[in-house]
Amino acid sequence: MNKILSNKKAIAVFVLPTVILFTLILFVPVIQMIGYSFTDYNALSKPSFCGLKNYRTMMKDDVLLTALKNSIFFLLFSAVTQQIIGILLAVLLTNIKKGRNTFKNIIYLPCVLSSAALGLLWAFMFNPRMGINQFLAVFGIKGPLWLMDTKGFIILPMWVIAFVALWQYVGQNMMLYMAQITGISQDLYEAAYVDGASRGQAFRYITLPLIKPMLVITLSLNCIGSLKFFDLVYNMTQGGPNNRTQVLATWLYFQGFQYFKYGYSSAIAVLLLIMCLAVTFLIKKGIHVETYEA
Amino acid sequence: MKKELVAIISCAAMMSSVLAGCGVSTDTGTGGGTSATAESSSTAETDNAADASTQTASSGEVEEIQWMFWDDLDASSDLITQGYKQVIDRFNEQYKGQYHCTAITTNLEEYDTKLNALIAAGTAPDVWICNPGPNLTQYVEAGAAADLTDILKNQNADWYNSFNQSMFERLTYDDKIMAVPTNFAAALCFYNTEIFEKAGIANPPETYDELIEDCKKIKAAGYDPISCSAGTAWCLSMVAGYLCDREGGPDNLAGTADGSVQWTDKTFIDAGTKLKELSQYFQDTAAGDSNDQATALFYNGQAGILIQGSWVIAQINGNNPDFEDKCGVFRFPGITGGADPNRMIVKTDNLVMSATTKHQDAAIALMKCFTDDAAEKYTAEVGGKIPVTNVEFDASKAPKQLGYVQDILKTTTGTFGFYNESLASVEAGDTFDNNMVDIYLGNKTPEQAFTAINDYYKDNVWNK
Repeated sequence: MNKILSNKKAIAVFVLPTVILFTLILFVPVIQMIGYSFTDYNALSKPSFCGLKNYRTMMKDDVLLTALKNSIFFLLFSAVTQQIIGILLAVLLTNIKKGRNTFKNIIYLPCVLSSAALGLLWAFMFNPRMGINQFLAVFGIKGPLWLMDTKGFIILPMWVIAFVALWQYVGQNMMLYMAQITGISQDLYEAAYVDGASRGQAFRYITLPLIKPMLVITLSLNCIGSLKFFDLVYNMTQGGPNNRTQVLATWLYFQGFQYFKYGYSSAIAVLLLIMCLAVTFLIKKGIHVETYEA
Repeated sequence: MKKELVAIISCAAMMSSVLAGCGVSTDTGTGGGTSATAESSSTAETDNAADASTQTASSGEVEEIQWMFWDDLDASSDLITQGYKQVIDRFNEQYKGQYHCTAITTNLEEYDTKLNALIAAGTAPDVWICNPGPNLTQYVEAGAAADLTDILKNQNADWYNSFNQSMFERLTYDDKIMAVPTNFAAALCFYNTEIFEKAGIANPPETYDELIEDCKKIKAAGYDPISCSAGTAWCLSMVAGYLCDREGGPDNLAGTADGSVQWTDKTFIDAGTKLKELSQYFQDTAAGDSNDQATALFYNGQAGILIQGSWVIAQINGNNPDFEDKCGVFRFPGITGGADPNRMIVKTDNLVMSATTKHQDAAIALMKCFTDDAAEKYTAEVGGKIPVTNVEFDASKAPKQLGYVQDILKTTTGTFGFYNESLASVEAGDTFDNNMVDIYLGNKTPEQAFTAINDYYKDNVWNK
């Protein structure tokens, strides 16, 4: 193995497929996208250069501002709730002896199901004529219009979708944290308990510092995932009512595939790309990770 | 050296297999001898079509074509959809060994985006169904739709002459016919005669004020006066479109198109105000109900009035055949002091042939099947929609509602398209729809909503 690793040609040969694939399916399209963002392009005729017009249009696009607000809401909501609940579930499950695998599988199950199917399922659940409202009606409670209410700065459908997303993806964080927590040596806890530490203190001073590297990973995944969020929104509200639940990914999709404005759609994608890069950079720089010997 | 060679060969094999998996053909059919692959997100039927195309390519015998439609041919209880399925089956039987058609189906809400994705990817279906107005216009302007003028007028004059020529009016661009209609529908008010009787309403309303009074009576009788969907925005937009036309007449649409009429004119604001007033009589769940749910509410006898296109006859009778006897029809009421009350919203379903199809003969044969006597008779006698050809059908076999629709059409003084399909672009239509939903939900006053549409027109249409 060491012999191969010292051979630069062999390394190049093994790395080459990934580099080529990465270039073809990621780097080239990103460059193309940036190029298209400076054009009027309907995908059916040749793009024509229009300078910064698409970016100027973005400044005046009220729906884009709504989409930006909703995407940032998703980012913050996911970052906070999925981290806290993910860690709590991971700690709870690593500390129970019976039924750990059962609960783990139940919580993780939504992660492996199709988002499109789950989106439709929840859309039915929140439909006024079926699901939750019918259940509430049994007790004489008139349920709200879960996916149509438009009052407030962050409207009810956004909270609903955010909670569905939390339900779907919290299992992923839980699994990652469980893997990290399982790797912490029991000796550390035993030593702490011998020194008189409580369970809470052990969590605060042993578990949390040692899962910090995983925090960076899960936080990055959460933030980038929630900025790119598309499927649940598309399947539950299609961005409505009146575009109030649009997020950046759905709005660029509608601009491209509904209105044939691929140039403008690409400009929104550039904004999304910049936001993803900025968030990743901030997380990397903002969270200081120290390596402990666990 | 030997190991390096093995490594290189292994990598090459890995790369070729991975890249082969990523391969996408842009051929929609068989002509080029390559396999046709469809959008990955399309239905299983698309995959079947791709498979079939591959087989054809290798055998060179049967020409495979694809037709795209906005409803599930196997699952839908809509009688028009079932009629379309019969057409496809008949086509495949009639041209067995020569042509074969596979239907790509999606639900209505996702139809446009999926179709646009296929066209943009260079894998357009050979024939697809299309709404008139900006939807068709965008395919025409983009060069995705084939010019059918010569095919119709010169190569197939008999076929062309079988049509009621006025049906091509909204399908013609610069004297070029860009689509073929399959059926014709008018938007009307369907009502439950039993509920009207229980509410003590002797005759359907003729004016907007009478409509409001009747709604009050129906509500007092314990029923939802009007079943409408705001969850499916175009349903509410259709009601709004009627109110805009009843207030301002044809000048409103023509004027907003050329900028001589502002969206903030009094007639539009009044229409918006009436929409808000009328919406008080919608079912409680109208904001979240889909079009199908609102329609079901009507044919299940829970609502008095349904304002819909006459395509709904096929849906009503397909789901509840007993309802036919108690379903009446009346024209959308006029507004006292408003414009001509006898104008009617109409539209056709249309077939567009891809400009890039390599199977033109097969596509034309398919379009002929959709508009032949058997199909058009079915359209009227079973589906309850109006044929687009001069075919004679047995009126006694047709749904009763069709007779009522035809009676109303006789006194119609003019027609216009759905408002959202008559505006400058698909986006303009969506802007209108969304703002009408906002009026209904109380998020905007009529003034605010129409100002928003006006602003859109200033930025994107008039000053473009």
